[in-house]
Amino acid sequence: MRWRVDPEAGPIFEQIADAVMAALARGELGPGDKLPSARALAEELKVNPNTVIRAFELLEHRGITETRRGLGTFVREDVDVDALKAARLREAARRYLAEVRALGLGLDAAQAALEEVERKDGTRA
Amino acid sequence: MVLELKNVAKRYLKTPALSGVSLTLAPGQVVGLLGLNGAGKTTLLKVAAGLLLPDGGEVRLLGEPPRAARGQAVYLPEHSPWPERTRPAEVARLLAGADPRFDPARYRELAGFLEVPDRPFAQMSKGQRARANLALALARRTPLYLLDEPLAGIDLISRDRILKALVHEWRAEAAVLLSTHEVSEAEGIFDRAVFLKDGRVMLDTGVEELRAQGKSVVETFKEVLA
Repeated sequence: MRWRVDPEAGPIFEQIADAVMAALARGELGPGDKLPSARALAEELKVNPNTVIRAFELLEHRGITETRRGLGTFVREDVDVDALKAARLREAARRYLAEVRALGLGLDAAQAALEEVERKDGTRA
Repeated sequence: MVLELKNVAKRYLKTPALSGVSLTLAPGQVVGLLGLNGAGKTTLLKVAAGLLLPDGGEVRLLGEPPRAARGQAVYLPEHSPWPERTRPAEVARLLAGADPRFDPARYRELAGFLEVPDRPFAQMSKGQRARANLALALARRTPLYLLDEPLAGIDLISRDRILKALVHEWRAEAAVLLSTHEVSEAEGIFDRAVFLKDGRVMLDTGVEELRAQGKSVVETFKEVLA
C-alpha cells in the first residue's frame, strides 16, 4: 500500500493509524498481514520514528494490530473488517449528508444523486 | 537530559543575540529550532556546542559545562567547514585518526545512503556539499547533534535524502537540535518545535500536540514569528 501523511492535517500518528484502518476496510491489507517496521515507515514518510510507534500503539489499543516480539507488528487475525468497513461508510455518508444539507436538500435528492452517479460513472469506478 | 540551557544570554558587543533562553533536550528527541534569519539560531547552537561562552545563564551538556563535555556534541555549521580541495573520504580518514568517536564504517554507510560523490568539495553542488557534510557529522557517535540549517538553499532531492538520513540514523539515546526555516518540509521529523525570535524563545511545544489543537507548525511559525 501507498502511505501518505499531511503535516498540515492534524496529528500525524492519527493519520497513520487511519491509513491502516482504511487499507483494511478496502481490502488492501488483511488479517495476519505484517506492517512495515516503525523505522522503515518513518523513513518513507520522513516522520519521527516516535510518531509511527505512537500510531502502532493506538492501533494495538484499538485491537487492530499486535506486536510479536522480535518479529514486528501484524494485523490481528480476529480484526473485525466488516466493522471497519461499516464505520468508514458511515463516516463518508456523514460527510455527504452534511454537504446535501448545506445545499438545502434532503435524503430524496441525495438518494437520486447517488443513483444517477452510479448509472453514469458506476462502470468507471 | 542531553542538553539543558537555563536563562542563557549572549551579546555581541552591545547587541543582544540571546536573552533568557531556556531549553532542554531529552535522549531520542528531535527538536526543530525555528526562526527567521537573525533570530539567534546559530548563536544558540554554538553556545550549546561550547563554541561560544554565554554572558549569562547556564549550559549543561550531559550535566557538565559544554567545554568539559567536549566531543559529546557534533556541531554542523551552515557552511562547509572542510578545505575546498579535499574529498569527503579524505576528511573521513583524517577524522577517523583524530576522533575516537568517528566511525569509518558508519561514514561509508552514510556516504552511500546520502549518495556523497567522490570528488573535492570545490566541485560539488550545494546539495552534494550538504549531504557530504551531514554524512561526516552523523558518522560521529555522540549523544547530541547540533545541525545549523542543513536544508537551506539546496535542491529538493537532497533535502528529501537528508531528512530520510536523519530518520534512518535516529537513535533512542541521541538528541538532535536542527535549525531551519524550511518548516513545511522538515516538520514531520520533529518531536518538538522551539520558535525563536529576537533571541528569545517565543514558544516551545510538541508538534503533534500543536496539530491536535488544530494548528499546523507552518501556521504557528507565521503567527508566532510575524
